[in-house]
Amino acid sequence: MTTTRVHHQIETTPFELSARTKALLTQPGMRYGHLTARSLDEARVAIDILLLDTAQGQPLLLTAPLEAGTCEYPALTPAIPAAHWAERMLGDFFGLHAVGHPRWKSLLLHDDRWPMALCPLAGAEQATLPRTPYRFLKVEGEGIHEIPVGPIHAGIIEPGHFRFSCLGEIVTNLEIRLGYQHRGIEKRLTEVPWHQSRFLAESASSDTAAGNALAHATAIEQLLGITPPSRAIALRTLALEIERLANHLGDMGALCGDIGYSPGAALFPPLRGAALALAQFLTGNRRQRWFIQPGGVVRDLDAARRRALLHGVTDLAKQAHEHLPLVLEHSGVLERMEGAGRLSPALARDFGIVGPAGRASGTRYDIRRHFVHAAYPALAPVPAHRETGDVLARAQIKAEEIGTSLDILTHVLETLPDSPIDILLPDRLPAHAVGIGIVEAWRGELIHWITTGEAGAITRYAIKDPSFNNWTGLAIAIRGNLVADFPLCNKSFNLSYSGNDM
Amino acid sequence: MRNPFLAIARTGIQTQRELFPDLPAEATGLPTVTAAPCSGCGECAAACPTQAVSISTDTQGPVVTLDRGRCLGCQLCVRACATGTITEDRSTRTATRTRSALMHSNRPQLIQSAPAPSRRFMRSLHIREVSTGDNASDLEVLASTNAIFDLARFGVHIVASPRYADALLVTGPVGRGMHDALFRCYDAMAEPRLVIAVGVSAISGGLFRDGYAEANGVPNDIPVAAYVPGDPPHPWSIIHGILLVMGHKCEPACNNDPLAGVIGVQN
Ligand code: SF4
Ligand code: SF4
Repeated sequence: MTTTRVHHQIETTPFELSARTKALLTQPGMRYGHLTARSLDEARVAIDILLLDTAQGQPLLLTAPLEAGTCEYPALTPAIPAAHWAERMLGDFFGLHAVGHPRWKSLLLHDDRWPMALCPLAGAEQATLPRTPYRFLKVEGEGIHEIPVGPIHAGIIEPGHFRFSCLGEIVTNLEIRLGYQHRGIEKRLTEVPWHQSRFLAESASSDTAAGNALAHATAIEQLLGITPPSRAIALRTLALEIERLANHLGDMGALCGDIGYSPGAALFPPLRGAALALAQFLTGNRRQRWFIQPGGVVRDLDAARRRALLHGVTDLAKQAHEHLPLVLEHSGVLERMEGAGRLSPALARDFGIVGPAGRASGTRYDIRRHFVHAAYPALAPVPAHRETGDVLARAQIKAEEIGTSLDILTHVLETLPDSPIDILLPDRLPAHAVGIGIVEAWRGELIHWITTGEAGAITRYAIKDPSFNNWTGLAIAIRGNLVADFPLCNKSFNLSYSGNDM
Repeated sequence: MRNPFLAIARTGIQTQRELFPDLPAEATGLPTVTAAPCSGCGECAAACPTQAVSISTDTQGPVVTLDRGRCLGCQLCVRACATGTITEDRSTRTATRTRSALMHSNRPQLIQSAPAPSRRFMRSLHIREVSTGDNASDLEVLASTNAIFDLARFGVHIVASPRYADALLVTGPVGRGMHDALFRCYDAMAEPRLVIAVGVSAISGGLFRDGYAEANGVPNDIPVAAYVPGDPPHPWSIIHGILLVMGHKCEPACNNDPLAGVIGVQN
């Protein structure tokens, strides 16, 4: 079997784009994936939409070229709210203007820090509009006051700005402004030789090294029409699940820390440490850096290390199953988490919330069931599922996923196939082709979307981190809650700022 | 009813007694350059994704220069080198007090000497962390504070405001979006203040270097007191960097006897 897929590509016009997309989204199992743009030549640009047909496990592309000299198109956000940040990103990166967008302003490139005329991804002769300066949404009314927080926060945490509008202690609106960590990854990915692009691709959010590396490798392999050997696929699965395990375990400890439940905060960091030790055993380092590469993985797991790893997984499973109930059955902890930071299933659906946060709000969506990556969908677990959408639901989903990851790890280690661990890659990527890697990373749906041009050079590399969808979920979830519950609510989402800022 | 305290008691003391243990055999460390003669084949430089290795020649033959300040630790150069000139080094004592000490070569290096660190913070150091785009390093800084590595045993605490911090620990490449915030944080600190650059992106920008985002690491106008290489560095290496700026004698090698030479008595 090969992972190459001929992508269904629909060409349309900017004026029909919204209606066509909306119509396609009514098909069962169809999801909005991402929206971005791509230069066709120095003067022309096309809007690209990625839809995910989860029933078929196939991506579907819609392309709407803009006429040369135009940089305006009718916004999709009114019909597809999940696209609201992606459209603003087009404003920043391509100098485009989504006409009719309800909150049109810059997203990542702050007007006081970046030259107004900078459109880093636009063609040299493309028509552009300067970015619309940023203004926070002003909530008005008697007694409303604002609390600005960040970019630098009090803990060991990434930078971002949160603007709370509050009535007394109650949050009426939270506006999240990110972009502080913009590093220009997507542009750089078109400048480096493609066989070295995995290093940058993996650094999109370096706490998700295995997820990003896997999405990158899957996209490249799809472009080349190759499938890595079965042992490499199994080893990649181990890396992906260890990453999920380590981060979910860390989240359990961090949630306890924010609740002030010290036993939990003391018990879970060492478990996370044990998961990172497994990672080091498998890949050579705790963060699984540079392990997954297109064509396979960089190092094998010999028999002795496989046994040791299996032993470690069994041990960790025993401890995790002992410790999780200490948190999730503790009445004080439950009281704090229950009903806090609710995100309703309807809003989660409208804004395309993914990963554990989506599954906590009624979405039955786990990429492992739908799209080919690592040993999936063959080994896909039944997705954890809750309807309540509160902090407790998100914690319970993570606890369940700790269990399923441990089961998958045990199964893969017990059935590790024999084969080489990589295959030799050709020197070039095919010209004018598209490769899309879609992975269920520990935070959810992660997409690496590569387009090649003349001579197989990468001309566009778009990355959609799961956090890009989910930040809006956090902003909605905190409404009507106490300001003091924000850290707990934030931790229950635990999103990536750098994966969002690119 | 299950008792969480029994669970804690059963897990026992987690803290590692041995300070700066070498990485275990299954782990890969950062590359270093040995005296083994280099053939000048150039494979290492061709393999390196960040141009951290360069090859030149002098009268004695090929000269290898490896800049750990730009190195991701991907091991490609180690695997490419047939002569064993570049090998991996499993030490966790990798932090340095000068940028030039991160240069490894098969020739004697011109290393600027750093002024002897003040011992003012020997017993206690309060640190403010600023993250700018490398969340793996943030997680390793966080890990250094957990029960296993236990940064607090050295009198080091991570604090919430630059106003009461003695040191600023920077992770990530400091792109244009963070310049202003970083300078404001630094300016808010009382003197004397120390800066520690953690991770390859904070040291040089790493993979992001020289792009339009100007993400080239801690800007030159902020003096750096310690550099911790790695992408991300191991928690022990981060602790090493912190102890270096506190003036502990743990460079280039200290013995592994807990506390000896590390918790100094001089003041
Ligand atoms: S280990 Fe460092 S020096 Fe060697 S190839 Fe990788 S990045 Fe370059
Ligand atoms: S260090 Fe090794 S790989 Fe590099 S030029 Fe010398 S012999 Fe070749």
